[in-house]
Amino acid sequence: MFKKILVANRSEIAVRIIQACRELGIKTVAVYSEADAQALHVRLADEHLCIGPSDAALSYRNIPNILSAAEITGAEAIHPGYGFLAENAHFAEVCQSVGIKFIGPTSENIAMMGDKAKARELMTKQGIPVLPGSLGVLSEEKEALAAAKRIGYPVIIKATAGGGGRGMRVVTQDEDFLSAFQTAQAEAKTAFGDSGVYLEKYFLEPRHIEVQIMADEKGRTVYLGERDCSVQRRHQKLIEESPSAAVGEALRREIGLVAVAAARSVNYCNVGTVEFLLDKDQRFYFMEMNTRIQVEHPVTEMVTGIDMIKEQIKIAAGLPLDVRQSEIKLRGHSFECRINAECPDTFTPSPGTITVFRTPGGPGVRVDSAVICDDVVSPYYDSLIAKLIVHAENREAAMARMRRALDEFMIEGIKTTLPLHKRIFDDPVFQKGRISTGYLEKFLSSEQARVAG
Amino acid sequence: MNLKELKELIELIQKSQIAELELEKSGVRVRIKRDRVQMAPPPVSEEAAPAPPAPAETPLPQAAPPPPAIPAGWLTLTAPVVGTFYRAPSPDSDPYVEIGSQVKKGQILCVIEAMKLMNEIESEWDGKIVEILTENAQPVEYGEPLFRIEPLTPT
Repeated sequence: MFKKILVANRSEIAVRIIQACRELGIKTVAVYSEADAQALHVRLADEHLCIGPSDAALSYRNIPNILSAAEITGAEAIHPGYGFLAENAHFAEVCQSVGIKFIGPTSENIAMMGDKAKARELMTKQGIPVLPGSLGVLSEEKEALAAAKRIGYPVIIKATAGGGGRGMRVVTQDEDFLSAFQTAQAEAKTAFGDSGVYLEKYFLEPRHIEVQIMADEKGRTVYLGERDCSVQRRHQKLIEESPSAAVGEALRREIGLVAVAAARSVNYCNVGTVEFLLDKDQRFYFMEMNTRIQVEHPVTEMVTGIDMIKEQIKIAAGLPLDVRQSEIKLRGHSFECRINAECPDTFTPSPGTITVFRTPGGPGVRVDSAVICDDVVSPYYDSLIAKLIVHAENREAAMARMRRALDEFMIEGIKTTLPLHKRIFDDPVFQKGRISTGYLEKFLSSEQARVAG
Repeated sequence: MNLKELKELIELIQKSQIAELELEKSGVRVRIKRDRVQMAPPPVSEEAAPAPPAPAETPLPQAAPPPPAIPAGWLTLTAPVVGTFYRAPSPDSDPYVEIGSQVKKGQILCVIEAMKLMNEIESEWDGKIVEILTENAQPVEYGEPLFRIEPLTPT
């Protein structure tokens, strides 16, 4: 086992990694930017080292400074957390070349899954259903029409340079295709200066379902059930839960085995997440694989009882998995609410000084956060200030627990997404588990309509 | 600590605004206290006690004395990278600079080794080296003060 680990991250995930190291008896080195000199992860670590100015590109993403920090402190391994350098294949490779263990998958794994088109191609070869779509940019009308027919309606035309709905068109039949294709191209050209568009199968109410997998260096791979991350806004997840209200025992096993097969096909090592789209007819399609620990890992920890960060460290140290697939059972239900320093209505960041921060407690409540009183939420980094996680015997009880915990959570000085979470947990649609990736936008616009009406 | 150093220390205190200074070095502790009532000459009390049998080698991490006030106009050159600080280009060569060296902007003052790469650290100003704040071959973090420079033209 490692004696000393450098934590190449900040905020709650850095604290979470330090906690796991403490329990494993491993010394920790915190690195920090000038903006984070007083941060909790710096205070909790055994050693700490400033690695650059506030700008993350010059500090938390500064590979030479981070490696030097590991070298001069004698750290044998680096845990990258999520974000920053976590999915940087080059960084993983450099770590290996200087003899420092990167706690995560191999650089080949990261590179392979990082290339989304290549990953899809590989999955198709493995017989894994991928989101039907054109693989590249479509410029010829004939070619595009043929692709639409092959994929099957409804299809969505998306701008390659796009985002935010511009250059997007949903088409339900052949007759409408060409005019929609031309409009989408023109819109993409005006909005992004690039008329490149591609096609994807369009789903009416898809769910974002992801499967947590874990693999040791010998290739033993297990799945730890699914997370439903359908409550999201512009691809930013807001609430996650495990298990999903839409996944039963049989589907869980099926999708789990597919995720394991996807991981095995690239000789995947360490923890990872295979993301799927689940349609209304319970068919699922591979979207991508995330080669890191994820923000929402606690819901899986709550229902499986497995400490994912400790597992990451043990796997990186070359230890075999000590849990068998048959021993992994999902117990009860867990939710996670991401508390962001954002205005709950406009979603604009709300930096400032946190004057009151009183976290909820009691049975089945967990808060992963790095906030201390009088902390300043700086505009340099992302707005996640806390993850509120609950666990209870079933979905109903877990919702009641979350409502109670949300009410107990006191944060003053800045605006947060707490009020939005309360409203969602009071929404009958959410309560019934009828969520899809379009849920939040619909919920917000119906709220607005009610206010306006 | 010899008598000469002690004398220098006392003189330094006399010139400064410091009321009391306690210093421990190689097992010898010295405390110098200024009596503010009697102005001239400032009487000095000193205590030099032999160290306990096993001198505590481990430094107290948080007990460092507050940084002394830097004379106005002096500039501090800090480490732009994380690594190991070297005062000379190789173990056999002379240091790039010493206290009192006149330096030019862009002149190499030290190297910081990071990942087997020698980063040459240049002076940002024309001036005179008045303090060297880091020992040779010590690890430095980003922003760690390395040199104090008295600039040629006051800023």
